[in-house]
Amino acid sequence: MTLKECYAAMGGDYEEAMGRLRSERLVQKFVLKFLDDGSYRLLCDSLAAGDRGEAFRAAHTIKGVCGNLAFNTLLESSEALTEALRDGRPPQPGEEDLIRRVQEDYQRTVQAIRTFQEGAPA
Amino acid sequence: MVAKQTILIVDDSEMNRAILADMLGGEFDIIEAENGKEGVAMLQKHGPEISLVLLDIVMPEMDGFGVLNMMNKYHWIEDIPVIMISAERGSSHIERAFELGITDFISRPFDALIVHRRVVNTILLYAKQKKLASLVTEQIYEKEHRSSLMIDVLSHIVEFRNGESGLHVRHVHMLTEIMLKALVRRTDRYHLTQTDISVISTASALHDIGKIAIPEEILNKPGRFTDEEFAIMKTHSMEGAKMLEALPFYQDEPLVKAAYEICRWHHERWDGRGYPDGLKEDEIPISAQMVALADVYDALTSERVYKPAFTHDQAVRMILGGECGTFNPLVMDCLRDCADDIQAELAGDDVQRRNQREVQNVARELHKHEELTASERTLELLEHERMKYTFFASLTKEIQFEYTVTPPSLSLTSWGAEKLGLPEIVMDPFQDPQALTIFDPRDRDNLADALHSTTPGNPVVTYDCKLHVGEEERWHRIIARASWSFEEPPRYTGCIGKAMDIHSSRLQLENLERQASHDELTGLLNHAYAKKRIMERMEDRPDGHYALAILDLDYFKSANDTYGHMFGDQVLKYLADRMRRSIRGGDIAARVGGDEFLIFLEYKDDLEATIDGIYNRLAGGRYENFQISVSMGVVSAAEVGTDYDTLFKRADQALYVVKNHGKGHYRYYHKENALMDKAISAVSPIDGEESAPQAQGEEEQV
Repeated sequence: MTLKECYAAMGGDYEEAMGRLRSERLVQKFVLKFLDDGSYRLLCDSLAAGDRGEAFRAAHTIKGVCGNLAFNTLLESSEALTEALRDGRPPQPGEEDLIRRVQEDYQRTVQAIRTFQEGAPA
Repeated sequence: MVAKQTILIVDDSEMNRAILADMLGGEFDIIEAENGKEGVAMLQKHGPEISLVLLDIVMPEMDGFGVLNMMNKYHWIEDIPVIMISAERGSSHIERAFELGITDFISRPFDALIVHRRVVNTILLYAKQKKLASLVTEQIYEKEHRSSLMIDVLSHIVEFRNGESGLHVRHVHMLTEIMLKALVRRTDRYHLTQTDISVISTASALHDIGKIAIPEEILNKPGRFTDEEFAIMKTHSMEGAKMLEALPFYQDEPLVKAAYEICRWHHERWDGRGYPDGLKEDEIPISAQMVALADVYDALTSERVYKPAFTHDQAVRMILGGECGTFNPLVMDCLRDCADDIQAELAGDDVQRRNQREVQNVARELHKHEELTASERTLELLEHERMKYTFFASLTKEIQFEYTVTPPSLSLTSWGAEKLGLPEIVMDPFQDPQALTIFDPRDRDNLADALHSTTPGNPVVTYDCKLHVGEEERWHRIIARASWSFEEPPRYTGCIGKAMDIHSSRLQLENLERQASHDELTGLLNHAYAKKRIMERMEDRPDGHYALAILDLDYFKSANDTYGHMFGDQVLKYLADRMRRSIRGGDIAARVGGDEFLIFLEYKDDLEATIDGIYNRLAGGRYENFQISVSMGVVSAAEVGTDYDTLFKRADQALYVVKNHGKGHYRYYHKENALMDKAISAVSPIDGEESAPQAQGEEEQV
């Protein structure tokens, strides 16, 4: 799997990422680094603990990182969740769907990166 | 030395920091902070070394706006440009960030080229601005300095030719300034600004330059002038004005204009009877009016060949009384207003200090108005000092620290931080749970109190206490110097200092003290030390009820003889041990020497019960084969007073009687028995050569 195919699999925009970071080496480096980023975990934990402020920050970070790497599918869902959590708003109907979507998109993204990682040159 | 410039990245996402660092790391040194609080700590630590801050908005602990608020509060924002990078798109966020002084806003997702270009541009812009600012500051300072220096030199040449001390010019300068300030307080009729006052006072130094054109024999004539000579003398004002008018340049300089007026008209008088032009009232420029008065005042209060020096009060009275020509009534009012100031200023004519203060004022004003930063040279000096300090600090194995009150932060040398298990910078150390474990709260408060009660003249505090280092508590000596601001009154701004590990020497000392105060064999107090403690106790509270018991192991000699000295020592240790367990908390037990011991105790009301309890726990039973039999004499302070030697002697006396009455019991000393006891003790010697101990059960009634 190439990096480009990895982007296709997760619903991201490879060209956009290249346009931003200007080198395939950098894009690859940060795509792989995404696997180690703790924000998703923090998001799940703080949602489970009912800490909506912390959850907002975590979602916000995911959104920022996805933006820079042009992980557009996850970007969209994390952005929607960020807005739902902003300013300590109480849960609105439909929030669970938003969370589920972020979870699905995250899994899809991570799955694509892992597949890419296995085939990538060390 | 071309150092890389430093960029501080403040972002809670490691990914984001890594992306930015990767984009910029080639050309810049990157330091990172993972939340706003840490970012502020970095700014505090690195200060102007940081050329640019890249700042995120949404972060835990303290967000980007919090950082900007702090940067505004401490004026860092004036020197360090901030580019905000955020995925926030609301224009209200962006607006607010610009209001707080950011230079640029880049929204996420960002483009590597754009970030790079904007960072470089901002840094270049600021560097240029900084350089220009310092150039301007230095030039202004240089210019001010040089021109006032030249004026001083010039006017002193005139004075020396005139055979005067050189003080006259200074005095006229000071008087003119004081009077002008008083005038401005009274009226705005003359539209004088602070700058005008400064220009006129400086120009006043030139009032007599025309005297350079006066022949020396007239200028320095000791006696009175002839009419002809006086006529020549009077030309000096016009001559000075002509000299200034003849200057090929600078005719539009306010300083030259003011000097011209002063030179030409400082001998004019309000009523029109002065020279050279016979101007009257406000035809005479206010600058010349003021210098005229200052000139007259200083002439009066100085000694001349033809007159003594008048005192300040005399001079003021003469001027106000019209003895020295007529002056503007308004100017006379000013003289009345500031007569006291004049006297004080002239008395403490510390020109050097004044000049310095002036320069400081100028510098401060410049700083405030032009928002100029400290000059490049100052920064270099500071940087050099900082490098020196860091280098030496890294060499010593000491915990060195600096505490600032605002913002509350504690910085430690890296060695010290590692030793204490703290970060090098702790914000809000009094709230930081980790930092709080280092100190016992009492020690911390004591130390803080001690530092707060120092004075700027005597700011150093030495304090010994235990610090929690690693896993153990160790004694440290803290030497700290409080910092006081230069304001009036001075404000406590923090402290610097170091903590030295004195644990082993402290333990040694304690050990030595212990050796000096304790009996080596039994571990009880020795007699000398016990005596000291007992005397202190009775002195502290003379109203207490005290008793002293002296006891002695019966048949000890036979134990030594039968089983050897080693065994004898064991027995003594055993008895000491039992004593420790028999007495109560506040009692004092000591070995007097040999097999003799003492117990000092304080009782409430029932001495008998207390003594009985102690004795019963102490005596009886065996140590191996040796029967523990104890004889004891007791005396109360109620009986013989609180003199230690008397107590000891009487208790010993009672013991003596016990020894001679079958041993193995105790007895009180009573005055009424003393005579009889004395008789008994005279008859039989104590502790004879008895054989094996007998069962000792009986106790003598008291």
